[in-house]
Amino acid sequence: MNGSPPLVLIAASILLPLLYPLLAARPGWHSILRGALPLLPLPALLLALLSTTPWTLELPWLLLGSTWMLDELRRSFLLLTALLWGTAGLYAVGYLGGKHLRRFGVFWGLSLAGNLGLVLAADIVSFYMFFALMTFAAYGLVVHVGGNHARFAGRVYIVMALLGEMAMLAGFLLAARDGGSLLLAELAAGIAASTNGWLMTTLFIIGFGVKAGLPLLHFWLPLAHPVAPTPASAVLSGAMVKAGLLGWLLTLPIGEVGWQSWGQGLILMGFAGSLGAAVFGVIQRDPKTVLAWSSISQMGLMAVLVGAALMAPGQVSALLPVIALFALHHGLAKGCLFLAVGLVIPAGRLLQSFLWVLLALPGLSLVGMPFTSGQLAKAAMKGALMVLPNVPLAGLLPLLLQAATLATLALVVRYGWLLWQQLERGTIPASRWLGWGLALFCSAVVFWSLPTVALVMSD
Amino acid sequence: MTATALLPLLALLTSLLAAVVIFVLPESSHRVRILVNLMAALLKLVIVALMTWGVFHGVDFSVSFTMLPGVSFMLRADALAMLFAGLSAVLWLFTTIYAIGYLEDSPNRSRFFGFFSLCVASTMGIALAGNMFTFFLFYEMLTLSTYPLVVHRGTEKALRAGRNYISYTLGGGVVLLLGIAWLHGLAGDLAFRETGHFQGADPALHGQLTLIFILLIAGLGVKAGMFPVHGWLPQAMVAPAPVSALLHAVAVVKAGAFGIVRVVYDVYGIDFAFMLGLLQPLAWLAAFTILYGSVRAMAQIDLKRRLAFSTISQVSYIILGVALFGPIGTVGGLVHLLHQGIMKITLFFCAGNYAETLGVHRVDELDGAGARMPATSTAFTLAALGMIGVPPLAGFVTKWMLGTGALATGVEWAVVVLLLSSLLNAAYFLPIVYRLWFCPVAAPWPGERRWGRLETSAWLFWPPLITTLMLVLVGLLAATAFSPLSWAQLIVVRMYLP
Repeated sequence: MNGSPPLVLIAASILLPLLYPLLAARPGWHSILRGALPLLPLPALLLALLSTTPWTLELPWLLLGSTWMLDELRRSFLLLTALLWGTAGLYAVGYLGGKHLRRFGVFWGLSLAGNLGLVLAADIVSFYMFFALMTFAAYGLVVHVGGNHARFAGRVYIVMALLGEMAMLAGFLLAARDGGSLLLAELAAGIAASTNGWLMTTLFIIGFGVKAGLPLLHFWLPLAHPVAPTPASAVLSGAMVKAGLLGWLLTLPIGEVGWQSWGQGLILMGFAGSLGAAVFGVIQRDPKTVLAWSSISQMGLMAVLVGAALMAPGQVSALLPVIALFALHHGLAKGCLFLAVGLVIPAGRLLQSFLWVLLALPGLSLVGMPFTSGQLAKAAMKGALMVLPNVPLAGLLPLLLQAATLATLALVVRYGWLLWQQLERGTIPASRWLGWGLALFCSAVVFWSLPTVALVMSD
Repeated sequence: MTATALLPLLALLTSLLAAVVIFVLPESSHRVRILVNLMAALLKLVIVALMTWGVFHGVDFSVSFTMLPGVSFMLRADALAMLFAGLSAVLWLFTTIYAIGYLEDSPNRSRFFGFFSLCVASTMGIALAGNMFTFFLFYEMLTLSTYPLVVHRGTEKALRAGRNYISYTLGGGVVLLLGIAWLHGLAGDLAFRETGHFQGADPALHGQLTLIFILLIAGLGVKAGMFPVHGWLPQAMVAPAPVSALLHAVAVVKAGAFGIVRVVYDVYGIDFAFMLGLLQPLAWLAAFTILYGSVRAMAQIDLKRRLAFSTISQVSYIILGVALFGPIGTVGGLVHLLHQGIMKITLFFCAGNYAETLGVHRVDELDGAGARMPATSTAFTLAALGMIGVPPLAGFVTKWMLGTGALATGVEWAVVVLLLSSLLNAAYFLPIVYRLWFCPVAAPWPGERRWGRLETSAWLFWPPLITTLMLVLVGLLAATAFSPLSWAQLIVVRMYLP
């Protein structure tokens, strides 16, 4: 592991959020528990920033023998995860009441540890472990507020998550046998060479599709994302759905020849999700539910990109950074939009106008307004899709992309309208403003200095 | 007598002598009894650890006497024996600690702990038995020593459950004895051997051997709680929690499962059993039991009854692993012998804690118990997730090995059974977890007791936490040298490559 960051930093990235729940064992530590929330992803953020060269770490004693790594793709996901959880954590300091704070802290820490760990995992078992940790712990965030809505959302969430887990496990078991390796990096070749390749690919598309909100596997998402406490909604919709995307990228036979029709299928599913979600989204009355549908819509576009990568093995090296960039853009913008729902309108005309401009910014970014992360992401996406090998679908692509932009616009306008009607006057703790402001700063400014962006822009 | 002959005897005698001393002690000498109990448990742990170390390095611990012409009493420690002996020794210690707290101030403790020690001596004998005769001796001793524990409360319900228990297990014993006697007549006094005895046996004997196999498995299947002879298990739930813990994790059901492993591998030989076509039906039966137990568990409102049906399901994982006919599946089955023990004992400790601390016995009374008893509820949650097979917990390692083993031998349907079983486990465990943490307390606890600083008595508080730590570590560190997984792999290497 040449030039890799210190081991203690890697360990701290996972162990800090993983062991943080122990603080909840003491009843009197509410302020410590609350205050530590924004600090939890800091080691991981530092790790992502310091890992300028890819590294691999062998942990032969862990589980069935583990390998962790950080390459360009994972680094981008790690940055997104750490930034979003950090800002949402800061926001949460001013959001959470004392009721069930300890319980919230336990599930927050565990979900975060899972979300960070699955990014670092390079072998099947570690990946599956962290994925499961995130999925099960996030249940606690979904049902946190209690009541019938939350209970119903939680039930749908956990049932679908379990089905996803089983599909994933079946896929991994088959892949481990046919590929003869527990390393994720060797999965694609193993699937391509196996006669069961179609089965494994189906299982992985379904297994991770639940998390990524693929059409017909999405039912839980518009129920669960809005019902969670706002900072949890932000990480669910911004970061945790991306784990499904990363799962696809790591398990599907991307870069192998002979998966064109699978790629086309995924592209169609993606567009169906992207456009269909808008239809359901614009009729919602709760801004958070609109955002959840918007996440399905945006994840549909990312599914399109994954499908493109399946279709065009030769284009993979160009497509992967675009997918990472899109995920980064959407995660940061979506985080801001969710966190805005818990804000209030300040006194003073000027301040109000200024606030509305800022509130609109991440929405306009999703639509692809010039000088936003969205413009870059959309342009990169378009560029990548246009060079796909000539297939029947290719003629439709420009049309579908325009329709997707309209769908996004419709959802953003609906969200803005609802927010306009629902934001109240009053005061909220400063950390809520800080958390939202920092998320916005990341989405609008920090974004441009992140390594993934530089990589895509240099192309 | 050399040390290698002495150690297996000592392992057996520690709990046997403890039993005698405890029976002799007057009911009132509370402290002495605790001391004897704990010293014996610790001493046995040390002896078993020594022997495990020795077996790892290839030392042959064995001792045998001739009882009758052609029948010998034989103790021998091979790697498989140490798997069961280790489980028994470790969990006995924690169960003893737990039982001391659980039975505080209740009558007839002398009788209870006496039979408790006898029961552990029996499991040690079962583990170390070197031939079918010795195995049978301790197997029946186990039946007799657990009966007084099941009926300990002395209530009408307990006595009825006890009658049921004794008729099932003695009935199973008779069938087993029939099989052993027939086998003895056919082949003489057979010591357990890693490759079995019948490779290349005269084809004329195949019919008889098949019948004997069915008798042996049927006899052993009673204790292992296999469908359709599982009926005693849910009823035996009336026993005090530490007894249930011991019955479900170490003693009775495991004795049955362990016996099946011995018969398949060390008497018949896995290849021969496969050749006779006996493994396929065994796998089907195990798979059916796995699903049947889970489906029944879902309908149970009584917490301990739900756990009992879960045991029926989970123990058959072991048998499924054996029946898969392949080294990896065997590793999965064997490692589950330990893993299921650790997880199930944790769940029963927790169930006991809810009963003793809050007076709660039913699932629907558990609402909000997480806030009142966070440590116990954390233990329960982790053990339940382990049962479902969530990584990195113990149950995941089992499921992964069984699944890999099934695929390696082309038994794809077994993977479907495993995944279904996971979903069913989730369906009956997760609602409990939900109640613990997310439901508000609905009514005052039926019978709350308070113990100062901890959420319950210290005797009851620590054992489930320690076993929980174990069920996390055996999964998280599965690849290390002395994990149950590595030990199971060692056994299988010695079985398949003698």
